Amino acid sequence: MKMKLENKIWISISFLLCLHLISQSAFGQTPLDELMMPKQDVCILVNYEFGKFDQYWEGEVLRKNGTIATVQRRTAMVMAAYGITDQLDFYLGLPYVQTNSTIPNGGKFAGTSGLQDLSTGLKYQILDKRTEKRQVSLLASAMLSVPVSNYLSDYQPYSLGLKTPQLAWRLLGHYQLARGFYARAVAGYSWKGYTKAEREYYYNNGSYFTPWMDVPNSINFDLSLGKWFWQNSLRVEATLSTQSSTSGDDIRAYNAPQPTNKVDFTRLGGFAHYYFQNLKGLGVLGYWNQVVDGRNMPEMSSWGMGVTYQFGIKN
Amino acid sequence: MKKLLILLLLAGIFYSCIRDLPTELQFESYAFSSLDEHGGTWKPVLVQSGSTIEIPTPSPVGSGEYQVELEELKQLLAQASQQERASVQRWTNNPVVRWNEIALELIAKYNLIPGPNADGTYTLPNPANPAGPPAFPFAHPPYASRALAYLSVAQFDGLITAWHYKFTFDRAAPYQVDSSISHEWVSHPIPSYPSDGAVVAAASVAVLKAMFPLEADYLENLEKDHLQALMLSGSHVESDLDAGVIIGKEIAAIALQRAGSDGMKNAQAPKSVSDSLANAAFERFGWKWENLEVPQRPVGLTPLFGQVTMWNVPNVEVTRPPVPPAPGSPEYLEDVRLLKEYEANRTVERRRIANFWQDGLGTYTPPGHWNEFANRFIVKYRLNTLKSARTLAYLNMAIMDAGISCWDAKYYYYYPRPIQMIDGFETIAGTPNFPAYTSGHSAFSAAGAEVLAYLFPQEANQVRGWAKEAAQSRVYGGIHWTFDADVGTTQGIQVAQYTIDQAKSDGAD
Repeated sequence: MKMKLENKIWISISFLLCLHLISQSAFGQTPLDELMMPKQDVCILVNYEFGKFDQYWEGEVLRKNGTIATVQRRTAMVMAAYGITDQLDFYLGLPYVQTNSTIPNGGKFAGTSGLQDLSTGLKYQILDKRTEKRQVSLLASAMLSVPVSNYLSDYQPYSLGLKTPQLAWRLLGHYQLARGFYARAVAGYSWKGYTKAEREYYYNNGSYFTPWMDVPNSINFDLSLGKWFWQNSLRVEATLSTQSSTSGDDIRAYNAPQPTNKVDFTRLGGFAHYYFQNLKGLGVLGYWNQVVDGRNMPEMSSWGMGVTYQFGIKN
Repeated sequence: MKKLLILLLLAGIFYSCIRDLPTELQFESYAFSSLDEHGGTWKPVLVQSGSTIEIPTPSPVGSGEYQVELEELKQLLAQASQQERASVQRWTNNPVVRWNEIALELIAKYNLIPGPNADGTYTLPNPANPAGPPAFPFAHPPYASRALAYLSVAQFDGLITAWHYKFTFDRAAPYQVDSSISHEWVSHPIPSYPSDGAVVAAASVAVLKAMFPLEADYLENLEKDHLQALMLSGSHVESDLDAGVIIGKEIAAIALQRAGSDGMKNAQAPKSVSDSLANAAFERFGWKWENLEVPQRPVGLTPLFGQVTMWNVPNVEVTRPPVPPAPGSPEYLEDVRLLKEYEANRTVERRRIANFWQDGLGTYTPPGHWNEFANRFIVKYRLNTLKSARTLAYLNMAIMDAGISCWDAKYYYYYPRPIQMIDGFETIAGTPNFPAYTSGHSAFSAAGAEVLAYLFPQEANQVRGWAKEAAQSRVYGGIHWTFDADVGTTQGIQVAQYTIDQAKSDGAD
């Protein structure tokens, strides 16, 4: 393939914001794609996302709850990427989140808002083989996120996030044909630390006399199929994502979720990114995600849109 | 290389953050601060005296019968697994704390409010069909206060009885009789027959099985484990345990007999009764509380808990507080202003206080929180089992009485919650399914604090400060008026005085 994909804007971030019952960005931090930034290029993304759910899985049972009615979640995010070398990218992202229930609802709980977690990380291109007919690449990334405000994770479903450091490791394989069709698979392991509640006792299949809650780690897989159109100015893809937590308890009957819950899900998503031909470096993206199965997870549907701008800083 | 260093550094940071999350109070066998040799003469709550329940005269340590028991104990010791030995350390020489923690765990497990059915109706937990759904019980704060009171009172009376016979028969412990038997706990000159630990185990299991019928197997396994630990510790032979179990079972039966007729089974009144209470309040005062949940719950939580038999207050009406400020009155309007101000300015400190004391659904409830404080003091001041049970008995009687008095006020005045009266008002704590005035948290906490202040005078300022904060937390949470909290606190203090008077005259001081 002659077209140099590196020159395209890197962000096809499907922004698979992994939403805990209350949602937290576990992925939102992580570029999940195969695109690399050219050395000393910078890309800025400004993104808005709206998500909502009126049903959630309590354990494995899908239910409604008049106490919370429909929960809405809005996320504004700024993210930057920088090409340290052609094979190594650096990322930095910060979301602002706002949550609430629709009115009327039976609970009359106040929603919350504030800055969530600062995420930062690296993506490294291990392998990139190109022939006339195909491109194969293999990448690895490590993303770290840390809470940057004093939000409370133990206020679900309105919590901004899990309020714990998270470290996600990912391995990504990408296979692309000359006509622009591609497939991508991502396998990840996400380590999540402890979160501190504002109470000194909680129940997690037994008593815990401490404010500290162990947030379960998770294994994540994503499989994407997509295609480039119009001389590689438009990229469209569909993604199937799954998460399985490696431990955790179930939400108890008609009870609020808590950060110790085992959160699993299967989600479908669609994503498109258009790069303007005549406005160098500028792009727009849009996406839609729907959780289709889960455990201790909202049946969240969300859409988002963003603007990307890429420029070089080498003189 | 640089990347590798960063990753190694990160790995180091994460490794260093692995935390030990305690599932019980951390303590080991300790030296008791007193022996209370005359504890057998103290006045029990449910029975006449420490000799009301009878147990057989034990065989003396020199007898053949005892020697056989000693041999059996040695065999048991020889065969004990590593796990069984660890169990001895876990139970410690103060199992009153451990059985209280078991009760707290079951309260938290069952403190789940039944959700609506698909057709919008609600099904109540039914003791005749405990498996439900919904499971029986719903261990809400009144239920929790009552379970803890019966548990602690049965333990206290059982231990007075045990102390009476210990110092009557004065039988030595196996580790004292046979030097080849080691003692795993700190040793005290407290005679071994009957085993106080066995009294606590048997009484606790019987009371908790009645309160949490689905947990019978779980509790019986714990009892087995505990009884075995009592022998493996070197403190007791089988007949020490048997006599303790007799006392424990008998006192639990007496306690449960009282529980069967204390009026709790009528507390969750039908809609007709709760409607008539609401209408009576409306006619008398011009207001009535309404449940705002979706779908609406037809009946508030235990409208007739206020009629449950009290432990130490002669008549609930003597502790009924005055009429709360009428909506529209200057005092009421000032409260609306204050609540709106808190809503607009949710400071970090107010949020922390609201959450710290919330003890809401799925937790051990406010009565449970005060039991946890008591357990910490019991260990801090090195109380023996008898004194520990005494502490928890007075604490929980006062807390339950405060709950009864509070519920009497709640359903007599039927006062609305802030979300019902202030348009668009939102909270950070869950609004409970019962009227506002007076605040249960305030009454429970003030009563608990007063008893602990009496029993642990060194902690008086601390616990009274906590009770005030607990009361205030409900206003910060947005679910109570300040007068609910203030009057509830006064009410709790007043109710607790009856129990403290009782404690002063039981012969322990």
